[in-house]
Amino acid sequence: MMGSNGGRWALLGAATVTAVGVGRAVARRRRRHQPDEQDGWYVVRRGVTVDRPIEAVIGFWTDRERLDRALAEWATLEQIDDEHWRCVAPDTSGAGTEWRAELTVTGPGRLSWRVTDGPEQQGTVALVPAPQGRGTEIRAELRYRSGPVRRALGLAGGHEPDLRLRDTLRRVKSLIECGQVIDTRHDPSGRSRAQERVTDKMRERLSTGGRA
Amino acid sequence: MRALCWEGVGKLKVRDVPEPTVRADGDIIVKVRASSVCGSDLHLINGFLPAMREGDILGHEFMGEVVETGPGVRRLAVGDRVVVGSVVACGGCWYCRTEQYSLCDNSNPQPVFTEKLWGHSPAGIIGYSHAAGGYSGSHAEYVRVPFGDIGAFKVPDGVPDDSVVFASDALPTGWMAADFCGLTGGEVVAVWGAGGVGQMAARAAQLLGAERVIMVDRLPQRLAAAANRLGVETINYAETDVLEALREMTAGRGPDACIEAVGMEAHDVGPAYAYDRVKQATRSQLDRPTSVRQAIMAARKGGTVSIVGVYAGFVDKFPLGAAMNKALVLRMGQMHAQRYIPMLLDRLATGEIDPGYLATHPMSLEQGARGYEIFEKKQDGCLRTVLHPA
Ligand SMILES: NC(=O)c1ccc[n+]([C@@H]2O[C@H](COP(=O)([O-])OP(=O)(O)OC[C@H]3O[C@@H](n4cnc5c(N)ncnc54)[C@H](O)[C@@H]3O)[C@@H](O)[C@H]2O)c1
Ligand SMILES: [Zn+2]
Ligand SMILES: [Zn+2]
Repeated sequence: MMGSNGGRWALLGAATVTAVGVGRAVARRRRRHQPDEQDGWYVVRRGVTVDRPIEAVIGFWTDRERLDRALAEWATLEQIDDEHWRCVAPDTSGAGTEWRAELTVTGPGRLSWRVTDGPEQQGTVALVPAPQGRGTEIRAELRYRSGPVRRALGLAGGHEPDLRLRDTLRRVKSLIECGQVIDTRHDPSGRSRAQERVTDKMRERLSTGGRA
Repeated sequence: MRALCWEGVGKLKVRDVPEPTVRADGDIIVKVRASSVCGSDLHLINGFLPAMREGDILGHEFMGEVVETGPGVRRLAVGDRVVVGSVVACGGCWYCRTEQYSLCDNSNPQPVFTEKLWGHSPAGIIGYSHAAGGYSGSHAEYVRVPFGDIGAFKVPDGVPDDSVVFASDALPTGWMAADFCGLTGGEVVAVWGAGGVGQMAARAAQLLGAERVIMVDRLPQRLAAAANRLGVETINYAETDVLEALREMTAGRGPDACIEAVGMEAHDVGPAYAYDRVKQATRSQLDRPTSVRQAIMAARKGGTVSIVGVYAGFVDKFPLGAAMNKALVLRMGQMHAQRYIPMLLDRLATGEIDPGYLATHPMSLEQGARGYEIFEKKQDGCLRTVLHPA
């Protein structure tokens, strides 16, 4: 009798410990997936490695034609003076609205930007030589106002600023390395138009965010 | 145009689809003359490599004629007869620059799926599901080839379509498998799987210096083809204990290198196979790794196991202990087509390699579904069905 009762207690204990353990692990995982918070800003840092020396990467930013091509689908860029640029982009979360940002070159291979008219957002980009002659690390830091719920909705809807940042870094890398951003949407298939629309949604999910 | 489309697990159908167009400066459009089936297609058709969509056009091993070039194309011109590597590579990233083309950073426009599954996304592959970029495949009259200058190669005159088509995939894969073995001359190499890939791996191992090549399969016609065409030794695993046989054939040492060219739908005899099948059918395990297990157990101490059969997810009962304690070298990967194709075309031109015998079943595109059935069931001595859309 004693033995089996004791056994049950031990089991219950083990179950509790395991449950707490799993809960902790899940919470830790969540925390890892949440961006840092500083003074009410969300802060995310993302980077991508481009297989070109820093000068070539800077060259890309100053090559008007290529830059326009990089931004084509989502923003226009206008130069104000040597150090200042203005960027106008449609707000991805709201239909038809726009936001404006100001870009400032803060040093060689460094710039910062701030949204002046639109969702509160600011960030910096720094170019760092990658070890082993692996080219240049483009390191970006993005600060934006959000909250866990808004972020979750944004991640689900694909318009979270963090996702956009990662997309952009990947686009820029691809443009510098091979002159194009590959696209397979609407290549031939045996799909009906309705099936194609569903597939487009899936394609978008598979191409949004990612590691960068 | 007509194209062979995937319509759901196990279902294929030829449909009318729009023709591809040049979409980027480096694109070329190829009029397909020969497009082969491949063991990888079976994994896709049967739903073991996920991310297929209804209506996707299959086919990734092909050759044909250039009929249009984008404004940025330099090396190729309309009218060129070309073979195209299955793997899409941008030519400009670090992986491409170091000839690791199947790891290209920029050729999969839909990298999120594989990043989640594997940590990073490898290159896109033509006609190979939305996990590999969602490219339309080559079982069609025309196909768009991105980065044409990097991925398409002019074919020497005199090498027939149904031979050179294998320089697209089966041959570079087989070559890479043997290349991974680091042969220096005189080795004994065992090859699991006597399909197109295994046969080419065996030939490559011979050319790279292996003294003996032993092929393992259960299909007598395939083993016979390998013995007759390549002069290799064979083991039928349905009749013989493979590990016993290999130990005996090597006087106890075991093969210096073991090449696995079977993949995730490996078949086996015995209880472990039943276990793997159940797990795979319920999708609690994507892969059936029977031949990989055997290759690891068979390899000599300090030997190499080179895996080119395709795996997608997690495997179970993986003999890591054997691999660790025998100090094995494990090499694996999708093939770096562009690294090997030029050299292989030279060898085809001289007749040193002659993969034409793999094309046992030439057929029209309209017969595509039947062609796959014959290939999958390995009926009628089928090594490969080659479709001819033109
Ligand atoms: N790494 C790459 O880049 C690459 C490229 C092409 C193909 N592949 C893969 O290579 C593999 C082989 O391709 P294929 O076209 O030759 O396929 P295939 O289906 O024609 O041949 C597979 C062979 O393996 C045999 N086999 C099954 N179970 C076995 C076992 N336990 N032991 C020994 N042999 C066994 C089958 O009888 C068959 O002959 C597939 O997994 C395919 O996806 C990889
Ligand atoms: Zn293949
Ligand atoms: Zn590349």
